[in-house]
Amino acid sequence: MGNNKIWSPCETYEREQFRGVQTERLMETVKRVYEQVPHYKKKFDEHGVSVGDIQSVDDLAKLPFTVKSDFRENYPFGLFAVPQKQVVRLHASSGTTGKPTVVGYTKNDMEMWKEMIARIVTMAGVTDEDTAQISFGYGLFTGAFGLHQGLEHIGATVIPMGGGNTEKQIMIMKDFGTTALISTPSYALHMAEIAREMGVDPRKDLKLKWGLFGGEGSTEAMRREINDAWGIFSTENYGMSELIGPGVSGECLHLNGMHINEDHFIPEIINPETGEVLPEGSVGELVITTISKEALPIIRYRTSDITSLHYDKCACGRTTVRMAKISGRSNDMLILGGVNVFPSQIEEVLFNVEGIGPHYQIKVFKKGYLDRIEVDVELIDANYLDSFAKLESLNQTIRHRLRTVLGIDAKVNLMQPRSLQRFEGKAKRVIDMREDK
Amino acid sequence: MGVKQLSIFVTNEKGTLADVTRIFREHNIDIRAISVNDTVDYGILRTVVSDPEKAMEELAKEGIVSKLSNILTVNPVDEPGSLNQIFTLLGDHDINIEYIYSFLVREDGSQLFVLKVDDKDRAQTLLENNGVKIIKELY
Repeated sequence: MGNNKIWSPCETYEREQFRGVQTERLMETVKRVYEQVPHYKKKFDEHGVSVGDIQSVDDLAKLPFTVKSDFRENYPFGLFAVPQKQVVRLHASSGTTGKPTVVGYTKNDMEMWKEMIARIVTMAGVTDEDTAQISFGYGLFTGAFGLHQGLEHIGATVIPMGGGNTEKQIMIMKDFGTTALISTPSYALHMAEIAREMGVDPRKDLKLKWGLFGGEGSTEAMRREINDAWGIFSTENYGMSELIGPGVSGECLHLNGMHINEDHFIPEIINPETGEVLPEGSVGELVITTISKEALPIIRYRTSDITSLHYDKCACGRTTVRMAKISGRSNDMLILGGVNVFPSQIEEVLFNVEGIGPHYQIKVFKKGYLDRIEVDVELIDANYLDSFAKLESLNQTIRHRLRTVLGIDAKVNLMQPRSLQRFEGKAKRVIDMREDK
Repeated sequence: MGVKQLSIFVTNEKGTLADVTRIFREHNIDIRAISVNDTVDYGILRTVVSDPEKAMEELAKEGIVSKLSNILTVNPVDEPGSLNQIFTLLGDHDINIEYIYSFLVREDGSQLFVLKVDDKDRAQTLLENNGVKIIKELY
């Protein structure tokens, strides 16, 4: 299956080599942000930490965190560490509220970004023999351009399709012989559905082999569903526009977690409530420090993503630390009647129920003092229409499993197939209608 | 063979029934019988139509799930006690009835009853052997 090529020798460094590179680059980055970015100078001073306090990667925890609101407060270019003249590219995150988060790249940053993606697509099985269809939206969003540049860099044929216009996507996929699909996992599911409606069997009529998914989290159950629908092998990759865009980490074909490009990004796991750094293997919030970016170096960025880090060697031969699948976002976490629930946990339950489709929506609201949760799912198996009792028992099964697995009592609404909203970019699965969250 | 019933998944939203009947109207599908039970959020609309295969296909195109099945349909003699005879027979043989609805056939004015039972084949043989007229096909 696939190739076992490792793109860069940096991915197989010994631990001490990583520490050496990280120490050197961290010290340089800390010095540079202190001198070039007033925000960091102020923050370090207030925090009582000086450039000289950082003598090795072990001193990282002495530095203050950077958070999303720091971007807002320094909108648009306040966190940049180089003069505007050296910035060759701007992107902005899909800010759902208010101003977007603006990020910039120098020429060297663009080279580095390309290199990071080259590693990730290579570990996901893609080679210069492949034709990759990018079904992320182009524009300010980093996803499409990021993957695009790196795929070209390894010599793959790139189809810059962009998001949306699903029927045309399928036509191009068929006519151009696409072998790798680059999109969000939820859009991949939607595309398979449209393909079948068009009379195209995604498993037989297409040459698709690889799926490289990112831009939003997904569960193992969703992966199975996608692999099954398309007859492909899919991997997940991770990134965040604040850090670079895609390119922070990705899965290799062993699916052992996502290999972090550690010579450019230092990961830590913290307790999201106390900020304390947690030991290896613990589950907590991922914090990333960029140590090679010029335009926008970021110190200890709190990603809100919940995961854990694993340093044992992967069978693929890479020695880079791996992060587990994101199990949720610390700010996505729903507190329902005192129970902590991540939408991904609900998803996992739903994916394992026969008879319903892969799309869902979670609605939360208050009824009196109580939190009420409703889960909309689509009925796809007509055999449940034999009797109302059968339909009702499907509903009860879903309800019962949600209660068993998550300890929450949800109302389940069976809906017509294709009646729930489909997403071409990041899926918005939760509608929280409670006033104070 | 038997009368074909279409079971259609309906959600309790404004216009759902109108959607189904609009699709039928647009494709010239005649409704012979229709039955919906009271439900809270969703339910099953059962119908006997002139072209069930086509109806199912057109519903699917508009994203509505439905299922086609053969259903036991009887034409009891029009006199007091005829239904009682049927129910007694079924009851005595431990055949359960899940639901019933009836409709008139315009052509000859006969009244037909759709019976959903837990053992269709046994029920059909039993009723036939006892002189109850079973409808094998409409039209």
